Amino acid sequence: MTRKCRNIIRVALVAVGIAAFAGASFAQQDTYAPVYPNGPLKAKRLKDPVSSLLELPFRLVKWPVDKSLVYIDNHHVADKAIYIYDRMKEYGFTPHLAFTDSAILPLMGGNADLVAVARQKEDYPDLIATASLRYAMDNRFVVDSEIGAQRIGETGFHSSGTFNFDHRSREPFYGIGPDTSLGDSSSVRMETTTLGYNVGYEFSPTLDLTGTFEFKENQLKHRAHKGKGDMTEIFAGRDIPGLYGGEELSWKAVLLRDTRDSHDEATRGSYQKLTFKFTEGVDSGKARFFTYQLDTAKYFRLGSPRRVLAVRFFGEHHDEVNGGEIPFYDMTRLGGMGSSQRTSETFRAFTYNRFYGESALLFNIEYRYAIWEYRDFRMNAAVFLDEGQTFNEFSAFKFSDFRESYGVGFYVSHSKHTVLNISVAHGDEGTKFYVKNKVAF
Amino acid sequence: MKKHLTVNSLVMTVTMILAVPMVSRASESPKFRERETTLCKDVFDQNIYYEGVNQLDLGRWGRKIFRKEIPAANVNVFDEVPDSSFFTNRHGRRRLSNEELAKGSAETAGPDLSAPMKITKGKQQGLHPGFFIEDAKGDRYCLKFDNEGSLELATAAEVAASRFYHAIGYHVPQYTVLRFKAEDITIGENAYTYDDTGFRKKMTPEILEQYLSFLPVTEDGEYLASASKIVPGKNVGHLSFRSRRQNDPEDPVNHRDRREIRALSVFSAWLNNNDIRESNTLEMAVTENGKTVLKRYLFDFNSAFGAAAGGAKPPMFGHEYAIDYGEITKAVFALGFWEKPWQEKWRRAREMPHKSPAIGYFSNDQFDPEDHKAQLPYEAFRVLTNADGFWAAKIIASFTDEDIRTMVKAGRYSRPEDEDYLVQTLAERRDLIAKYWFSKAAPLDAFEVLNGKLVFKDLAVRHGFVDGNTIRYVAEVSRPGKKKKIAALESREPSLVLDPSWTAEGGKAELRIRVVCGEEESPYVKVVLGGAGVEGVRHED
Repeated sequence: MTRKCRNIIRVALVAVGIAAFAGASFAQQDTYAPVYPNGPLKAKRLKDPVSSLLELPFRLVKWPVDKSLVYIDNHHVADKAIYIYDRMKEYGFTPHLAFTDSAILPLMGGNADLVAVARQKEDYPDLIATASLRYAMDNRFVVDSEIGAQRIGETGFHSSGTFNFDHRSREPFYGIGPDTSLGDSSSVRMETTTLGYNVGYEFSPTLDLTGTFEFKENQLKHRAHKGKGDMTEIFAGRDIPGLYGGEELSWKAVLLRDTRDSHDEATRGSYQKLTFKFTEGVDSGKARFFTYQLDTAKYFRLGSPRRVLAVRFFGEHHDEVNGGEIPFYDMTRLGGMGSSQRTSETFRAFTYNRFYGESALLFNIEYRYAIWEYRDFRMNAAVFLDEGQTFNEFSAFKFSDFRESYGVGFYVSHSKHTVLNISVAHGDEGTKFYVKNKVAF
Repeated sequence: MKKHLTVNSLVMTVTMILAVPMVSRASESPKFRERETTLCKDVFDQNIYYEGVNQLDLGRWGRKIFRKEIPAANVNVFDEVPDSSFFTNRHGRRRLSNEELAKGSAETAGPDLSAPMKITKGKQQGLHPGFFIEDAKGDRYCLKFDNEGSLELATAAEVAASRFYHAIGYHVPQYTVLRFKAEDITIGENAYTYDDTGFRKKMTPEILEQYLSFLPVTEDGEYLASASKIVPGKNVGHLSFRSRRQNDPEDPVNHRDRREIRALSVFSAWLNNNDIRESNTLEMAVTENGKTVLKRYLFDFNSAFGAAAGGAKPPMFGHEYAIDYGEITKAVFALGFWEKPWQEKWRRAREMPHKSPAIGYFSNDQFDPEDHKAQLPYEAFRVLTNADGFWAAKIIASFTDEDIRTMVKAGRYSRPEDEDYLVQTLAERRDLIAKYWFSKAAPLDAFEVLNGKLVFKDLAVRHGFVDGNTIRYVAEVSRPGKKKKIAALESREPSLVLDPSWTAEGGKAELRIRVVCGEEESPYVKVVLGGAGVEGVRHED
């Protein structure tokens, strides 16, 4: 082919190109046709082989969890569980599941409302007749019962009799006063039986005055137990009052004012509990002392219900009368997350019952703020500081004896009821972790 | 020659031996295993399992660090999603008429009330309980209702939202608004239900009466329901938003990489349907031309607009996942002094939903197209690229205010003000979404070679989001697969003059076109030209 011919062909091709461009639009293309850039579609791996391998152990967990969840949904297991729980409650039985104060151990049991059991709730709505039982393996066994009336004759008067048996198989003890050592770790098996009679008057839903007469028997068994020493050996030669238990009678008056908008997730209001108590040993018991206690907390909204500053003060003093003594188990105790009559007061970086003393001062300040909300679920984060000390006589009180505890917590609640509290606190004796289903105060 | 014949015969024989089982396999219908999922499983998988194991995905970390995207795998050469059992291009491809938009996927006018509907069983799964019924024609429906004090909220939202999803291109069951009286419903012979106890119970007139007594009624004393027609075929479970069915020849791509699955997040943001999840999908095995194929449906739209289970949408919906680790972490470090957007919006709304119970809680205050979240953090929604978002926004922008009104009307709102409010809110949200995604891609579409020019439409200009006088179009021309630039083009009009020599002699040219506004340059759109004109389009991911 001559060069001329080739040129003619080239020109012709260009002309065809030009004609194509210059012409009217091309025939309408189907821009939705299944014509793909790289031929027929092919699946690409979702993950590279190494990542898939890393996931493998978790996949083994996923499968049974998925199957269980599908089963739970398809068979309405959650509805059934709630229904059974409600029916049990209707018939007077309420299951109980919590964690012990001293360790992350399940504390299980139940409460029987005997009025409901006898189907008399409608006829006698104010009648109280309850019995409860809680048990944590190798740790705690509690039986409680109460019989009485929460309102007498449409007045504010209320009255009840109580029985309580509390077995604690490893009640820790580290000595009395501010200068004790964690190294003096001992424990005692303690069994307390209490019979009480309460009478009171509710002035309003937020104000109540109750008087209590109580008989208490404390039985102690000393032994070295699970890494903790025998108290009588570790503290041999030291004056530990009530070392072998005893029986007591006590008279107590409690004035309680509570204006919180919610017990578990208070965003405003306060509570004040003022207690005055006289305790006297029975038979040869040497116990004879007064107890004065003020427990108060206030909750401040900081511009929003999502930001709350909670401040608490707890002060208690025991005063011997006529040469009587204050048994160690009646003294004020600080340490742990709990906040109840039976457990030591909130001092989170320290172990439960870490500090014993005739007197105690405790300040808790906690800033709580919402970090997650989903329908009725809510999670608050909390930053807290606890400052406290135990001491014996006021003359022995020193500011330098205050110990600090600080930390953070995450509280998950549903409809303002705490379902999970995960906290970590740090102090000069180390770090403590808590998993609870209640808040400290 | 003989040798050749022998070899050929051998090859043919082997081919036939291999081909016969293949042909027979091809003609056999695959057996589809049921994929089970429920709300609890979805929440566990997405909120806990994948949130955790995704952190062990080295490729995912690599993509994050080097800002790499996963391009959608099922787009064709024109950057479109071809029709499939997942998606059928409808309004985005050809404007649907008002009648088509209003009708949606409806085949009937709803349950036939010429005789009482028979309840076959109670519906307890999902967030909204209801009944399965059979009507006088023998058609089966699922009836769902509003909560007390929220008449029309969920029922109207469900019906109207189904029209939107259908017009967009998804397969949805037929939804209609049904008004009926107590005498229009009766109990079928073997009807049963699962009530609050969770135990199966025979449906009795007492149970029905008790159920109906909790339902809100219209001014005419009628009950109001959304009636979804039971779709044909065998239910084989739910559609995964992650992986494909390996034995389905029509499902060659992992669903995470399907553009229409990823884009569900954009469409659901428009419709405020935060309850889009795997357990609200269905895969139905149907026989077509003697072969079993799967048809994929979306359903349960009664959490669209301002509705949610129980009444008005809770204020955090759409802004946070059910468990949103990112938001929780931010909130932890902000020490409570950061007011989240939904909290600010809720405060401004005086912690009250809209005054009309039929609207619930739905407004565009604090709506952010980039940050709108479904209830669960599906990875498919997270890997949505700019090109995917542009594709979805293009479809959304194709709906006019009148189109929106036509579809909202399908909800049969009794108060015109409610209809007006929804149309206005959806139109505003359409514009917010379209404007956002058109700014994240070169918003150019409908490429065509005409009279020696490449002409196209600038959707941002066309929809009034950008002033056409302030922009120009620049293009770099190269040979496909080559980096070397052979020409540069610029125009103030949505057209570029082409050099015929680029495509002469079977040659091809690749134009990377960007929109320049002042100093800002958009991502590119790649257009491949050949002898047949436009041979390929791809927006930058």
